[in-house]
Formats: sequence, C-alpha cells, structure tokens
Amino acid sequence: MSKLQIITKGILKDNPTFVLILGMCPTLGVTSSAINGMGMGVATMVVLIMSNMVISLIKGIVPDKVRIPAFIVVIASFVTIIEMLMKAYVPSLYASLGVFIPLIVVNCIILGRAEAFASKNSIFDSALDGVGIGLGFTLSLTAIGAVREMLGAGSIFGYSFASDVMPLLFILAPGGFLVLGYLMVLFNKIAKR
Amino acid sequence: MGEINISKEVIQGFVDGTVSVEAITLFAIIIGAIFVNNVVLSQFLGICPFLGVSSKVETSAGMGMAVTFVMALSAVVTWSLQHFILVPFGIEYMQTIVFILVIAALVQMVEIVLKKVSPSLYQALGIFLPLITTNCAVLGVAIIAVQKDFDLLTTVVYSVSIAFGFALALVLFAGIRERLEVEDVPQGMRGVPIALITAGLLAMAFMGFANVVPLP
Amino acid sequence: MKSSLLNMVLVLFGITAVAAFLVGVVNNITKDTIAQTEQKNKDLAKLEVLPAFEGEAELRDTVRRIGDFEINVTTVKANGVLVGYAVEAPSITRNGYADRINLMVGFVEKNDTTIINGIKVLKQSETPGLGANMTKEGNSLERSAVGKEPKTLAFAVSKEGGSFDALTGSTISSRAYANAVETAYAGYLWAKGELPSAEDAMSGATKPNEEQTTNVEPEAQKGEQNNE
Repeated sequence: MSKLQIITKGILKDNPTFVLILGMCPTLGVTSSAINGMGMGVATMVVLIMSNMVISLIKGIVPDKVRIPAFIVVIASFVTIIEMLMKAYVPSLYASLGVFIPLIVVNCIILGRAEAFASKNSIFDSALDGVGIGLGFTLSLTAIGAVREMLGAGSIFGYSFASDVMPLLFILAPGGFLVLGYLMVLFNKIAKR
Repeated sequence: MGEINISKEVIQGFVDGTVSVEAITLFAIIIGAIFVNNVVLSQFLGICPFLGVSSKVETSAGMGMAVTFVMALSAVVTWSLQHFILVPFGIEYMQTIVFILVIAALVQMVEIVLKKVSPSLYQALGIFLPLITTNCAVLGVAIIAVQKDFDLLTTVVYSVSIAFGFALALVLFAGIRERLEVEDVPQGMRGVPIALITAGLLAMAFMGFANVVPLP
Repeated sequence: MKSSLLNMVLVLFGITAVAAFLVGVVNNITKDTIAQTEQKNKDLAKLEVLPAFEGEAELRDTVRRIGDFEINVTTVKANGVLVGYAVEAPSITRNGYADRINLMVGFVEKNDTTIINGIKVLKQSETPGLGANMTKEGNSLERSAVGKEPKTLAFAVSKEGGSFDALTGSTISSRAYANAVETAYAGYLWAKGELPSAEDAMSGATKPNEEQTTNVEPEAQKGEQNNE
C-alpha cells in the first residue's frame, strides 16, 4: 500500500463513521452543529496520530493479554496531557474544543485503530493512518453536523438563514440517529459507484 | 423595601452561608436515569454495544446484565478512589487514567468469573466483554457521579439505574431488530442504517418522558 | 508477544508509571499558567461586563462563601469614580443540565436605578448546540436580562412566568442561567448592604410598605470576608 493510499483510504474506503462504524458516541453527541463536529474531528485526529505513533513504538513489548488496558492508559494519558497543554497555552482553542477532549478517551476509533493498524505497522505508517482516519472522521462529523444544523436550527456554521421555524428534533437526540442513518445510506450509494 | 424578586433560598444562603440545593429524591434519580435521560437514547453513551450486540434479545439481555454488574462495581470503586485517594492527595488530574484502568481491570475480572460460572453466557458475550472497557457509558457514569457530587448510596442507585436504562434500550431495540430481520428492507438500508433510523424512532418515543421528573 | 504473569504485570505497571509520571510533570508545568490564564480571563470578563472607561481600573473584591460556592463582588472604580459592580456568581440553587453555571454579571447605577450592563458565561458544560448556546453573543437569555433593571426581573424562564426567554430546547440550562443572574443580583445587593431579609422574601410582595429589619450586617461580613 502506498503512503498516499494509507491517507486516502481513511476518507472513503475505510471511513470510520460510515464504513467502520466506530466512535458513534462522540459522532452523535457533538454533531448538533457543523462547527462542533469539525472541532471534535480535529481534536480526535491529533490524539489519534499521537497515540498511533506511541502504540506502534511500544507494540513489541506489550504482552497480548494486557494489550487493551495498556493501550487505554496510553490514550488516556495523551488526552489528559493535551487537555492540560491546551488549557495552559491556547486557552481560546480550549474554550471551543475543551468539552470534547475528555470524550476522546472513550472514542473507540482510537482503540480500534491502535488494535487494527498501529499494533501491526511502522511508526510512520501509523501516523499516516492517523491522518487519514482523522480526516475521514472530521469530514463525516462536519457533514452530519451541517445537515443537523441546517434542518434543526436553520443555520450553517452559525450563519442563520431560517431560524425559529425549523424542527428542533434534528438537534435533539433522535435527529442524530435519523440523520446518521440516512447519510449512511447516501454514503453507501455514492461509495459503491 | 419594594417588591422582592429574589427567592428566599438564595437570600437564606447569604444570611447563614448554607444553601439547600434542589433536593433530588432517589426515586427521581431512578426514573430520570432509566427513562428521561436514557443513557443510550438521549445521552449518546454506549452506542457501540447498542448497535453491535442488539441483533438478538437473548444476547442483549446478557450484555445488559454484564454492563449493569460492571457499571455498579466500577461506580463504587471509582467513587471510593476519588474520595479517599485522588482528592486527599490532590491528584484529581489523574482521574481519567485511574478510572479507565479500574474499569479495564474489572472487565477482565468479570470475564474470568463468567468463564467459570456460565460458559454458555461467556460464549455468547465473549467478544463483546472486552468492548465494555470502551463502553463510554461505564466511564461516563463514573465521571458524572463524581462531577455531580453524589454520595455513595446515590452513586450506586444512579449507576444501577443508568445500567437498567441501557439494558432496557438494548432489549427493546433487539426486539425491534428481530422483527426487522424478516421484513423487506430496501437494499441500501439493510444493516446499520435501518438500525440507526429505528433507534431514532425509539429515541423519539423516549422523548415523551421528558419533564416527568426533575433531572438529577 | 507471549503473555506471562510476570511480563504482564511488569509491562502494565511500567506503562502506568511512565504515564502517571508524564501527566504529573505536565500538570506541574501547566498548573500555574492555567491558574494565571483563568484569573486573567476573569479580570477581563469583569471589565467586559461593565461600560468602557478612561484611566486605570481599581478593583476591590468582596467575597461571600455559601457552602461550596463563592460569590465575588468586584467594585470597579476608575480615577476614584465608581464604574460599576462585576459579580461572579454560580447558579447556587439550580443545577444546569450537566453542572452548575458560572456567570459574570455587570451592574451599573444610573440615576438611582440599577441596570444589568452585561453578562458573560465563565463556566458551563451544557450540551453543545443546545444549552451551550448561552455563550453565544446576543442569545435569548442574555437579551432577557441585559439592559434591564434587575429588580423588575422575575428569575425564571418565561414559560414558568419568569422574564427569561429560554434557549430553544434547553429549559434546564436556562433555569440555571436565570438562577445565576439572581444569585449575582443578591450578591450585589448584599455587598451594598441592601439585601432584604429572608422573612421579607417569604412574604414576597404582599406587604411591600412595611418596614423590615434586616438581619444581615454587610459591613461586618465584608470585614470578615475581605481578606480573600
């Protein structure tokens, strides 16, 4: 597999949201607006790239049976460290992304990629995989957020075009399931062609 | 002095320095956690096992039981760790790492016990058990319970109720999916998409519980 | 790699130790910066909720602790002239959807009336896209209070007969917001020694003209709390 393919497969062929169906909780939880979806996507991508690299680095020394706890500790410490660094040095970015950071710990994408890719591949390839999957995740979340925001709040990226008359349902929990379901149908249709 | 628009609770607070925070009964917590704020259908926690293990009523009931057990146990352990170790030593920032480790260890333990006690259930749940570790609901509940400053009893009641809510959603959903199996679903919608749309409709039904009790 | 009890314990322990060490180190490095940033943000927020003024600001904090909560009334003066009061207050009797809400509320006094000049959300962890909209400029909650006289407000959401237009789909968050404004107003009155007594509040508006003795002695309390 070429280096470029590792990146691009995360966007279409191995799209984490629509194909691998990973990380559903943050996907549904934060996509009430496009900008939130994007924020979560970017935050996840950063953690994913770093955790993939570290896990690829330590893959040789971790016994199989404690693999999952060991990986989770690595991920949880990364998330904690990133949260603290952001709080201290880029508080404005933290103000907008802060709420998503603790959620990343339990995002199965990170552990999923650690298991499926990083524990079998080189550091560089693992980083690229993080970039690809991260990009795919960001794009999907932004798309879901955009649809939900348009339908439910009548705005896009915060620019309002028809507030007050839209069905709020799409921002609430059921709308999350419905929009994701229909977008998945659409994605499968396009990807199959 | 004119019309006074400040509630007596707030004024009382300034007068004697104590404040009676909205009292929430255990009953409200139970109903709130199972129905109003259903962990899966309104809080979006634990979606992965919800979609993954919900094709048969039997397996989903088993999964619900396993999650209930792990959740209640981990809530007690994490609560004790938070109050007797993290806070006294001033290392609250280690919370995420400590909590997730406790949960991972508990899951491993449940796996070993289940293997001995009920091999058939272990067979059915085998591959999903490790998934409980990344079931965000378990970590989520542990963190929420600490965040909301629940006491130990409330924590236990809350986490068991949340787990019942999870099991309820899972079993209901599995029931619907069993029926869907034999229905003629359009090609592109088979599998996860129709499951998600079904979950959306189920979530809509659960919205009917909103405002039934004051939320914890 | 093959698992044996020894290497399992060793590796897991090793990784946890390294992780704990790193997190601890980063925490030590960032702790002070985070505290400074938070303080700076609070100071900025104090000025943001008050009208612009010339000259050096002079801040004096009066702190009241209620249970675990802290209400901080900052008297802001510029060149000896009172600009207004910036009150930092949590929603003490109402929880938000996720947690308490902390607000900075600015009060200015003009011709014997008090007006809410500005509100800034300091801390909230409400649902993104719903309750979290309270941080957006010009949201319905902010519009319901800013520019109004606090004594004319009813601190509840409009569908419960209050003056606050709730955020769409977030009644619980909106209630907590109204409660935080109420607490801030009470804090402002308390700092000025004008807080009505509890008995007064209980009877409410039914006997508006009766003289009431207040059982609060703000001057004395100020002395106690001022060393914060």
